[in-house]
Amino acid sequence: MLFLLTLLWLLQDFIQVFVMGIFLVPDIFLLSLILLVVLRQEHKDRQIILIWIAFFGGLFWDFRWTNLPGLTAAFNGGAVAAVAYFWYKAPVQGRTTILFAFYAVMAQALSGVLHYVFWNVESQVAIRQFLVQQLMSVPVLVILCLIFWRSSNSHV
Amino acid sequence: MALWDKEQKPWLHGAITVLLGFFILWIMILTPRLHFFLVDGVNTLLYYPEKPSMQLRNVVKYSSNWVLERATLNERVDQLELKNQALLEALQRAQVPVPEPKETFTPAQVTLRYAEAWWREIRVDKGARHGVVEGAAVTSDGHLAGRVSRVGDNYCWVELITSASFLMASAVDETRDLGVVNGDDMGNLQLLFIPEDRELKRGMTVSTSLMSELIPPGIPIGSILATEGTKDGFLQIRLSAGAHLTQLYSVEIFTGRRVQ
Repeated sequence: MLFLLTLLWLLQDFIQVFVMGIFLVPDIFLLSLILLVVLRQEHKDRQIILIWIAFFGGLFWDFRWTNLPGLTAAFNGGAVAAVAYFWYKAPVQGRTTILFAFYAVMAQALSGVLHYVFWNVESQVAIRQFLVQQLMSVPVLVILCLIFWRSSNSHV
Repeated sequence: MALWDKEQKPWLHGAITVLLGFFILWIMILTPRLHFFLVDGVNTLLYYPEKPSMQLRNVVKYSSNWVLERATLNERVDQLELKNQALLEALQRAQVPVPEPKETFTPAQVTLRYAEAWWREIRVDKGARHGVVEGAAVTSDGHLAGRVSRVGDNYCWVELITSASFLMASAVDETRDLGVVNGDDMGNLQLLFIPEDRELKRGMTVSTSLMSELIPPGIPIGSILATEGTKDGFLQIRLSAGAHLTQLYSVEIFTGRRVQ
């Protein structure tokens, strides 16, 4: 699992290198962690491992791409923990693809908004980068929802 | 301790990560040196893994702009050749020996540009090992884009001309009026300290003035966009940057004429 998450982090990093200056890459790493935490990670120790992976992945991301080291780390750790908490509080029948999509969309949108607020600049470039990031996250969210849907169907 | 011992609580770990993240953010704001050390460490670590992606980006960028850039470059070469010819003639008439060209520009790729510091700074992949020194001029397509602000072995940070802390002695080419170019962190450029009695017009070009051995005079900066009244006896002049600063993928760093 750690190897897979490292690959996903690097994938997000390589895409960001490729599109640097055009838009900010969607949070593929964070959304994948949210997918992993809701897919049969009912053991709390596994959830905790994912929370800390999210934190350190975010911290590395901050040192590579953002000027606010610790912000992505804090958000990633908090978001994975919050999703794990609310997901497993919900009754099993309610843990649907729609609920997963809701959490994933909220995580992506809040992550974008949080960074945008902390940038503290009113430049058109910053607004464009934020908006394009949100638009580009749509295909990622669709793919992750499909994976969740297939995976949850195959374990009914 | 009861929270910790009896049962593993993911929400508690989540809360710890949030607090720890903000604590790290606070520490980094207080210690910029540690921040830069860690940023440069992670960037150096990822330099080789990211190289294929960087190369692919350049291939796509250059292949898509090839025809357009070629036409622009040919036009610039023609203009520079004519200018060079005129200067050589003037030197010959004045019987001044023509000096050997000593300056060199080192091409560099942009490896980092923070969204929140978009108009302030960039990081490029050339450093002290390639002859880059602090304070050297950085150009893009022949126009001034900024100045080297910090140098590492394999990288350096460039303060862009649009940064609010950027001040550069410059001259209006047509009138030889001297002023200072300054940014505002928002992508705008202004020319400061031009007396209000001067008559400057839209379209007049501005280039670097003799400032230091690391910033040669005559590098074009941009052109006058508008004169917006006066303040404290000086004209308020807006400039349009010559370098394409919104799409900055590669730059050239001045590595000639070292300070001894």
